[in-house]
Amino acid sequence: MLIDAVVIILRETLEAAILIGILISISNSVSIKPYWLFLSLTCGIFSAVGYAASLGSISTWFDYVGQEVVNASIQYLIYGCLLATAVLTANSNLRLTFSLKLAMASAATLAMIREGSEIIIFFTGFLSKEHIMAEALTSGFIGLTIGMSVGALCYFSIIACPRKTRMKVQITLLSFIAAGMVAQATQLLIQADWLPSTGQLWDSTGILSEQSTVGQLAYATFGYEATPTPVEVYTYLIALLLIPTAIAISFYRSSPPGNPPLSLEKRNQRP
Amino acid sequence: MNISRTLLITFFLSAQTIAVAATPIIKIEIRNHLFYPAEVIVPANQKVKLLIHNTDPTPEEFESYELNREKVIVGNSKAVVFIGPLEQGEYPFFGEFNMSTALGKVIAR
Repeated sequence: MLIDAVVIILRETLEAAILIGILISISNSVSIKPYWLFLSLTCGIFSAVGYAASLGSISTWFDYVGQEVVNASIQYLIYGCLLATAVLTANSNLRLTFSLKLAMASAATLAMIREGSEIIIFFTGFLSKEHIMAEALTSGFIGLTIGMSVGALCYFSIIACPRKTRMKVQITLLSFIAAGMVAQATQLLIQADWLPSTGQLWDSTGILSEQSTVGQLAYATFGYEATPTPVEVYTYLIALLLIPTAIAISFYRSSPPGNPPLSLEKRNQRP
Repeated sequence: MNISRTLLITFFLSAQTIAVAATPIIKIEIRNHLFYPAEVIVPANQKVKLLIHNTDPTPEEFESYELNREKVIVGNSKAVVFIGPLEQGEYPFFGEFNMSTALGKVIAR
């Protein structure tokens, strides 16, 4: 078994698997059948192949930082989709089930393109080494199943929460993942020199190393960085706070006077 | 009005020239899943542009936890990664697709 292949595929799968686990749990809570996931899987896999095939030429864009710019754009788009998902889940007054499905499907598709393309590129390295290709694929499959198991664990843990607190857990987790996407995208733009590069704000490697298992999980769920730059931290905080703010604004704008708003979950429980 | 605009343009152009001129470019080559040089010396407290040339036909991912950098470099291609400003010290990096061999470090002095 190729341990490297297990670790690489696990790392790439983890973030998307946790995100998709949360999205399926939301789908379940608001009684939307998760058919959107099949569409996401199909679009995500095909688009990831296309993106992987063109990454070589994309990388040469903008004076060899095209990869960072496109990946950052994908991650900002995921943030937008998750923001919409959070608002539409929390506020049933909006009654936009199709929009919610679209937001969840888009977020999952984009996450699969981002992570899937790197997995595909990794395996292209084995095309000339046929003797270990089967071993690499088997090892990768193990990594994939571990990642998916973590996603499933996340789903079942959320579903096991009492109905009253479940939506809060979902929105909170989604908010942290979404803010993590923004922090990663910001980091990519710093790497491309599109955003100002400064020294790190702190170094928490001693407390939680990014290389550790917990560190990797924290990276996938909270966008944890042991040595973040100020720009990263500020954009993370803004992105994080924007979600409850957007939910509050949506309630304020959509709630009829004297009629308390209901969550989609509660509405679906009505006879 | 015209003078102030001219001054403004001159300022931005000169600022950009200074910024471009001030960023040192360091070349790194990936060959047979190894980094050449494996130890990259860069000036401390200054932004640096790494120009990485992957001469292998296979892809590699330049990665460093300490530098907070991650970038896929497909086979036979070039990539640019900006790092720093770094405090004095050593910052290990590795090729994620060939972790056992592709190892290196940036030394900021």
